[in-house]
Amino acid sequence: MPPPGPVQEKIAMPGVKNVVAVASGKGGVGKSTVATNLALALHMLGRRVGLLDADIYGPSIPIMMGVSEVFDPNTTQFPLDRYGIKLMSMGFVVKPETAMIWRGPMVHKYITAFLTQINWGELDYLVIDLPPGTGDAQLTLTQTAPLSGAVIVTTPQEVSLIDARKGLEMFNQVRVPVIGIVENMSYFVSGDGKRHEIFGHGGGKKLAQETGVPFLGEIPMDPDIVKCGDSGDPIVHKLPDSPIAKTYLSLATLVSEQVTKSSNAAAELPTLQL
Amino acid sequence: MPVADLRPVALKKDGDDRLTIEWSDGHRSSYLWTHLRSHCPCAGCKGEHEQPPDPFRILKPTELEPLKPVSISPIGHYAYKIVWSDGHDSGLFTLEHLRALCQCPDCVKKKP
Repeated sequence: MPPPGPVQEKIAMPGVKNVVAVASGKGGVGKSTVATNLALALHMLGRRVGLLDADIYGPSIPIMMGVSEVFDPNTTQFPLDRYGIKLMSMGFVVKPETAMIWRGPMVHKYITAFLTQINWGELDYLVIDLPPGTGDAQLTLTQTAPLSGAVIVTTPQEVSLIDARKGLEMFNQVRVPVIGIVENMSYFVSGDGKRHEIFGHGGGKKLAQETGVPFLGEIPMDPDIVKCGDSGDPIVHKLPDSPIAKTYLSLATLVSEQVTKSSNAAAELPTLQL
Repeated sequence: MPVADLRPVALKKDGDDRLTIEWSDGHRSSYLWTHLRSHCPCAGCKGEHEQPPDPFRILKPTELEPLKPVSISPIGHYAYKIVWSDGHDSGLFTLEHLRALCQCPDCVKKKP
């Protein structure tokens, strides 16, 4: 895919009411699963929703949303539409086996292009699935995109919380409101109804209390989440009456409420013409 | 109000040589543009500040003209970027940094 045009400094997205980043410090905590199911849950609540996969190096959204083709960007109208969600991902324009061996400026260009050169139309929420860490993709988005807030995903164990704290600190430093913390893979309920806390207990809640941000809930481990994600039909869409889907609907409701509350903190800075 | 909660409510040009920022706590900061440039937080300027001056540095033609700001624009929710007449544009002035650089008589008195 040829590099997009010149880099824009400040992105205006007049048709998009709220831009919500789903982030974590650490990889493998289920950001893409949470972002995908949160987007679908917001859609189930009647909102118009887009999902942007900002993980340029390892996009997961195509497989989770059941898009296995690679499209020619010269002849394809992006964003795609799946299950009522508008979608964009690097995985739609490069083959899954292609390694994107890029430095930061290229990541910056493509993320900016995904935000500005794609007609997202009228959306209530654009959910952005961020890659792990506090690097180029995160900086580009916090500097250029009109972010309403960020949802931090963590798993309960300390090794994940350490990195989640760094993610939180990054958003604090760049003054993006943290909507709250979601604890993913919180527990597993076995066939006999017993609850197993495989990765420990209460880490996400503890981090929320320490940092003074809302705790948005616990999402259990469930083989159905994996099966649905791998088959391209996320659990909120495939099994909307399942307890997990209901957890995601509560999460979507809480995110909507918190975004409304934090809209003042995310107000644009004043400008000056010289 | 903690500095992290402060935000500018208005930016104004004060003559040719000054910038004024009105903050959410009612404070009014005043800066000479040259003061801001000499406290540019970019890596290049910070590195330059920490090194002894190079006596053999050759000035560019734009450096001989009086330095002035060309534009000042917000970066995300947390900083401003100033583009200068000599083309320098890599400094992101965070809100905390701008507040700390305030040159109003009250703030100047409080500085050690």
